[in-house]
Amino acid sequence: MTNDVQERLRRIRGGGEPKRHNARTIAALTTNPGCSRRAVLDAAGVDKAKLARHIGFPSQFGQSQFALIRGYQFEAQVKADGCAELITLLRAHLGLTLPEVSYEDLNDVAGNDDNRLRHRETKNKLGRRDDPGTLFDHPMLTLNVAGQDVFLEPDLIAFQIKGKFHIVEIKSFAVIDGQADGAKVAAAAIQSAVYVLALRNLLVEKGFSPDDVSHNVILVTPKDFSNQPMVTFVDVRRQLTVLQRQLSRLTRIEDLLELVPERVSLSLDADPGEVAFDLGSIEPRYMPECLNTCELARFCRHEAQGSTYAMGRTVMEDLGGVDTVAAVLDLARGTREPAPDQVEVAALLRLAWSLREESLGTAA
Amino acid sequence: MDLSIEELERHIDELRADMRRAAQAGDRVLVEELREELREAQASWEEALTQVAARTPAADGRPAATSVAPRARGEAIGRGVRGSLLPLREQVHHALTLLTVPAAPRLIVAVHQAFFGTVIPNSRLTSLRRDEERSFRAAPFARPYYLCPALTADRLGPSRGLLSISTWPIAERIIGPLSPRVHFLTAAIKVAEAIARTPEPRPEALRLLARFAANIPGGADGSGPGTVIEAARAELAIHEEADRITREEAGKRAGRLTDVQRLFGVRFEVVSVVEDAG
Repeated sequence: MTNDVQERLRRIRGGGEPKRHNARTIAALTTNPGCSRRAVLDAAGVDKAKLARHIGFPSQFGQSQFALIRGYQFEAQVKADGCAELITLLRAHLGLTLPEVSYEDLNDVAGNDDNRLRHRETKNKLGRRDDPGTLFDHPMLTLNVAGQDVFLEPDLIAFQIKGKFHIVEIKSFAVIDGQADGAKVAAAAIQSAVYVLALRNLLVEKGFSPDDVSHNVILVTPKDFSNQPMVTFVDVRRQLTVLQRQLSRLTRIEDLLELVPERVSLSLDADPGEVAFDLGSIEPRYMPECLNTCELARFCRHEAQGSTYAMGRTVMEDLGGVDTVAAVLDLARGTREPAPDQVEVAALLRLAWSLREESLGTAA
Repeated sequence: MDLSIEELERHIDELRADMRRAAQAGDRVLVEELREELREAQASWEEALTQVAARTPAADGRPAATSVAPRARGEAIGRGVRGSLLPLREQVHHALTLLTVPAAPRLIVAVHQAFFGTVIPNSRLTSLRRDEERSFRAAPFARPYYLCPALTADRLGPSRGLLSISTWPIAERIIGPLSPRVHFLTAAIKVAEAIARTPEPRPEALRLLARFAANIPGGADGSGPGTVIEAARAELAIHEEADRITREEAGKRAGRLTDVQRLFGVRFEVVSVVEDAG
């Protein structure tokens, strides 16, 4: 990335240090890959939560305290006593042999938990070929996001069997009768994909092949209504593709910046109205899903009022080519002449309107 | 409680500070645990004060007061049910002596509850290690033993969260890559043996044994401590030799350390990371 670009991103950020990414925020990048606003803001390292508050649309998320405690307790249970429960599971499901019980704690290096030191230790321990080891607790990985190395500290274990590394992700949502909440599994899969990618980068530096890290992630979750852990394999190949595309998009940020006016600066010291106006000049692509993953979603939703894409992908696709709700209603009532590409949609809308009139009469 | 009244006062101050920190961190469970401990400490202090008063003639020449605040005494007696009268470090010492291997606070708490029936607040174990090191630095070897971290085999640094006893041979305090499993199996054997010795083991002890049994191949095949011991020994035989070699080799290196380092581990104080070429 050139200095010019860095300078522009700094101006967009309004000076100061860029906000650090973590696996959660990197995973969130992939939910709405078409959104230029998010791509630019993330590349610049803007603190979106603070920005949203500044312009009067505070975000309401963050993890619940209870969820955090539950997650922490379940992880501690699975990892207790040299990962006793995890070893039992891996022996049963992956054919781990009895002598393979080696466990290395990478949480700190001789009482020091400096990120760089831990990253180096991780690299040395995972990259050694003579004595490969089996379980590695809390390895410190890095990933390059928008030209910056981001430290990733997965709450997980890297696990090596027959020369192949796996990511073990411990999550506290229950899998009941073989079924789990789809959204949670999807979130876990994309986060794991971030780690798979980071682990691949690390091992490639050590002369391994990317294929030495499996795309099958081992997900450990509580079984049914108990605290008993169980194992599920999750194939994250699709997530890896999406992730790589989105990350390369951030490094090719120049193209996106060309569409952003030069003057744009989102400094928190500036007048909220001006900041909101500037923000408006960066192309968004709001979808209802954004509310779960992006701090700015409330602002974008407000901005998107009256447009058809604010109603979600299905509605938007059904109304292909018609951008605003007002236009939709006009077409339905027949008060507006459809453009050539809107003829088909307009016919459908008029039919829907007449059906509605018939069933509801004048009450509508 | 054999702490002096001055020590109790310090302890109470520390507890208050810990409570404030826990409250600031929003950890309500910890605050409650500490509050309970503070209540106990205050009851002990009242008791100690009464004893001091009984030993000291009053300034005005009248006989020493003999009345004890009834509530304080009542609490002091009732306390035996939940907490122990022994100082925390001695309770930890008991549990570790039973296990014979370095252990995490979680296991220490479970073992103590299973065999001694008293609850050690998990949270206090964290500050314990710090207190032990401070005490040793202030007056080396003033106590018969210290509770100190196990040491990692590669760097002889303090291992995260594993406690051991300073009087154990150094090789017994070292953690190699295989040691967590070896220690788990050894702990299983020791717990099973202790249960076999107890005529009526507590339900907590049996639960602890079941937890061990479930994670040892063949451990849950039969019932009772005998099966667990047999199964654990069978797996132990696979790892023991390799683990012993690692630990003894590291133990030899530890001979070059200072007393403080040998007890509390070598720390990386200054960080200057040079990217390695490999």
